[in-house]
Amino acid sequence: MIRFILNGREIEVEVPPHWTLLRLLRERLELKGTKEGCGIGECGACTVLLDGMPVNSCLVLAPKVEGRRVETIEGIGNKESLHPLQKSFIEFGAVQCGFCTPGVLMSAKSLLERNPHPTREEIKEAISGNLCRCTGYQQIIEAIEAVVNHLKRETI
Amino acid sequence: MKYVGIGIPNVDVLEKVLGQARYGADLPSESPLHLKVVRSTKPHAKIVEILTEEALCISGVERIFTAKDIPGRNLVGTITKDQPVLASDRVRYVGEAVALIAAENPEASEEAAKKVIVIYEDLPHVTSPEEALSIDAPLIHEKGNLLLEFHLRKGDVQTGFKEAEVIIEETYTTTWVDHAYLEPDAGLGYIDEEGRVTVICPTQNVHYDQKEIASLLSLPLEKVRIIQSTTGGGFGGRLDLTVQGFLALATFHLKRPVKLIYTPEEVFQVISKRHPLKIRYKSGAKKDGTLTAVEVDILGDTGAYASYGPTVCIRSAIHATGPYKVPNVKVRSRMVYTNNPWSGAMRGFGVPQIAFAHESQMDILARVLEIDPIEIRLRNALQVGYETATGQPLMASVGIGETLKKIRIFTEEARGGRKDESREPKIKRGIGVSSMWYGIGYTGIANPSTAQIEIHPEGEIRLFTGVADIGQGSNTIALQIASETLGLPPDEIQLIHADTGFTTDAGPTAASRQTYISGNAILRASKDLERKMIKEASRLFGIGENDLFLEEGKIKSRRAPRISIPIKEIAKRCGTVIRGEGTFDPETTPLDPETGKGVPYATYAFATHVAEVEVDMETGKVKVNRVIACHDVGKAINPKNVIGQIIGGVAMGTGFALMEEFIPGKTTSFVNYLIPTSKDVPEVIPIIVEDKEPTGPFGAKGVGECALIATAPAIINGIADAIGKRIYRLPASLERVLEAIQKRKMKSP
Ligand code: FES
Ligand code: FES
Repeated sequence: MIRFILNGREIEVEVPPHWTLLRLLRERLELKGTKEGCGIGECGACTVLLDGMPVNSCLVLAPKVEGRRVETIEGIGNKESLHPLQKSFIEFGAVQCGFCTPGVLMSAKSLLERNPHPTREEIKEAISGNLCRCTGYQQIIEAIEAVVNHLKRETI
Repeated sequence: MKYVGIGIPNVDVLEKVLGQARYGADLPSESPLHLKVVRSTKPHAKIVEILTEEALCISGVERIFTAKDIPGRNLVGTITKDQPVLASDRVRYVGEAVALIAAENPEASEEAAKKVIVIYEDLPHVTSPEEALSIDAPLIHEKGNLLLEFHLRKGDVQTGFKEAEVIIEETYTTTWVDHAYLEPDAGLGYIDEEGRVTVICPTQNVHYDQKEIASLLSLPLEKVRIIQSTTGGGFGGRLDLTVQGFLALATFHLKRPVKLIYTPEEVFQVISKRHPLKIRYKSGAKKDGTLTAVEVDILGDTGAYASYGPTVCIRSAIHATGPYKVPNVKVRSRMVYTNNPWSGAMRGFGVPQIAFAHESQMDILARVLEIDPIEIRLRNALQVGYETATGQPLMASVGIGETLKKIRIFTEEARGGRKDESREPKIKRGIGVSSMWYGIGYTGIANPSTAQIEIHPEGEIRLFTGVADIGQGSNTIALQIASETLGLPPDEIQLIHADTGFTTDAGPTAASRQTYISGNAILRASKDLERKMIKEASRLFGIGENDLFLEEGKIKSRRAPRISIPIKEIAKRCGTVIRGEGTFDPETTPLDPETGKGVPYATYAFATHVAEVEVDMETGKVKVNRVIACHDVGKAINPKNVIGQIIGGVAMGTGFALMEEFIPGKTTSFVNYLIPTSKDVPEVIPIIVEDKEPTGPFGAKGVGECALIATAPAIINGIADAIGKRIYRLPASLERVLEAIQKRKMKSP
C-alpha cells in the first residue's frame, strides 16, 4: 500500500513493488493520458511531474512516490478551464498526432513553474527529452513562448 | 472564403491536450485476453514443426494459433499478396510471425511465447540486392528474387549526352529508415453488436484492412469491421497490416475481446522500413546549365516481402528527372527481394531517395559550370505545357519556378551571413538548395475516394468519410471543405470517419492524396447536397431552381431577397434524410510497360528548400541552423496544418540527412535509433505558394510528403558548400562527414 498526492488529492493504492509509476497510473488508476512510447526512458511520452520535476514515469518504481506529489496531464486542466499551455498548444498548432503532447505539456509546465521567463534555448532544453515525430517542435516552442510572453506582460 | 484558407484548430485537438484521446493501448475493454506474437529468430528457414505443448501448460494460456488456424487466404499485401500473417512453411526475415498466444494476462502470454518451440531447417539467406540477383542466389519467393523492373524512356539519351558539354556521373546510396512514430502499435478485437469481427487500432486505411481481414478469415466483407483509433503517427508504416490480422484471427476463434500491444522493440523489428536505394545517376548539360539528358539506374531492397516495393520502384523512376525539363531520359529501376527487414511505404515512396540523387547532381552541375544553384534550377524548371518524362503534358499548377523565385532572396541573405565565419575557424558554413516535385495520389492506377453528407429532419448534419486522420489534420480539412460549401461552421457538422461500419472507401492516407482526392469527394458530396436542397426548396416553395442558391446554410432567392430558408428547416419540412454523395478519382492512365509512357498523376506539388548549415571541421558534426521551405500546395485549405506538415517534414528530413540509420540486427529501440530532438531541428521558415490546381478542391493539391523530400538534399548540398566535399551515402553521420573532410585534407598539398 502506498500513499501519495495525485493531482492535488491524497490517494492510497495497493501496488506490486516491481510496478512502474507509469503502469500504476495507466493500469490501476486508469489514467490513460500518460503514454508509453518506449518504456526505457528515451521518448518522454510518459513524462509526469514528481514534486514538480519532470520524470519519465516508465523509469520510476511506483513505491518510490510514497509521500510525494505526482501530477499528470489529467490534473492540469479540464474542458471548462484549460491550462494556459493547453490553450496555447491549440492556438499554435503544436499538436498533430498528439501522442507526445501530454508529456511535452508536463515538461513545459514544470519549466514555467521553475523559470517563468525562459529563453528560447531554455525551452528547447526543457523539452529535449520529449521526442515528437510529427511537428518538428517549432510550433510547440512557439506555443510555450507565447505563454511566457503572456506571463511577462502580466508581471510588468 | 469563410472556412477554407483559415488555420482553424484541429477538431480533435481538445481531447489531445487534455490527455483524453484514446490511442491503441488506451482502449477500454472488459477482461480481454492478451495476445503475444511468437517471432522467428532466423532470416531464412523452413519451419519443420511448431511445438506448443509446453506453452499450453502455462496457467492462463487459452489458445495458441499457427498458420493452420487461418481459415482463409494467409497472404496479404497492398499490391502483391505475398506476405503471410503467420508463417506456414518458411520464414523469410528475423522477426516474422510464426505463432500467436492468447492468455488471461500479459505475463502468461509472454511466458508462453518463450516456451513455444519452433524447429527450423536453415536456408541460405540473402542480405543484399546484388547478391539476390546473382544466378545462384537462393530463391526467396518462388517467382524469383526480382520483384519488379520498370523502364522509362523519352527521346534518345545517346544523342542527349552527345549534345552535352558536361557530363556528371555518380552513385548515391540510402539506407533503411524507420518511421519511428511514437505510439507502439496496439489494438482491440471483439465481436460487435451486429456479430462482426471488429478490430480497433491505429491505421492509415480502414477499408484496406477490412478487405485483408475478410479474405484472411474467409468472411464476407460485411462481417468484418475496422475502426481507426486515435493514431499516434503513421508516415506510411500503418498502410500495411500491423496488429489487425492477429486481433481478428483471435477474435474470430475465441469470440471474446482480445488485446494486443506490441513492445516498442517489436515495432522497430517488424514494421516496414524506408527502402534502401542505390542510384547510379548520369546527367548531361550544356554550358548554360540546361539539361540534355539523364540516365538513371535504381536498385532497391524490398526485403522479405513486396509491400509497397513496386510503388517505390516505379515512383522513384518517374520522379528521377526532378522537377526539370529533360529532353532525353532513360531510367531502369529494379526492386529486389532479400532476407532483410521488409521495406514498405514511408513518407515519399522512394522520392526522398531519388531527390537526394537528382539534387546532388544539380548541385554538382551548378558548381562545375559556376552557375548560381537557384539560377540553374530556374533554367531547367518545369513549366505549364512541358511534357514530363512519361510524356504527360503539364496543364496547370506548375509552381516550381515560383518557389525558386520566392526563395532567391533568402539565399542572398544567407550568403551575407557567411561572411563572419572567420571568427571560429573550425566551423565552416554552407548554403544548400534543393527542389522537388511530387505526384499526388497513387501511380497510374485508379485510387478513388467516396464521401457522403446528410441532413436529418431533426437538423443534424453528418459528414461521412473513410479517411484516416493520422495527426496531419484531414478531419479538420474535411469539415472545412463541407463548411465552405454549405456555408455553415464546422461545429455544426458532425464528422463520422474511418469506421467501415459507417463510412465508405476513401483509399489510404498516403501519397499526399487525401486533401486532393478525398477533399474532392467531400466537395462533390457537399455540392450534391446543395443541389438536392435547392430542388427540395423549389418543390416546397414553388420557386424555380435556377432562382435559388445556397449561402450561409440557407437557401436564398435571387429575385426575392426576403426568401432565406435554413437548410435545416427544409430538411425538417421534408421529414426524411437528404443525402449528398460524392466520388472522385484523379484522371490518370496506366504506364506503358516498355517505355513508362502515360499519365501517372493528375497533379504535382512542387517545392524548393534552402538549408543553412554549419560543419565542425574537427568533429564532423553538422548543425542545420535554418531551412527556408517554399511549397506550391495549390491552395492551403488550412494554412496552419500546411505549415505543420512543412515544419514536421523538415525535421524528419533532417533526421534522414544526418542521423537516421536502421541497422538490421543492431537497431532495437530509440536508444540506438536516433531521431531529431528539439535541439537538433533547424528553425524553419515556411513559405506557401498557391498556384491553384483547377481540378483540386478550391485549387488544393497536397503537402504531406513534400517537405521531407526537399530537406535532405538541401542539407547535403549545404555540407558540400561548407566543406568542398560531397556526401554520397545517407545519413551524413559524423564519421562520414569527417571522412569526407579528411579526404580533402589528404588531397590538398
Ligand atoms: S515511455 Fe517513458 S520515456 Fe518513453
Ligand atoms: S504530435 Fe505526433 S509525436 Fe508529437
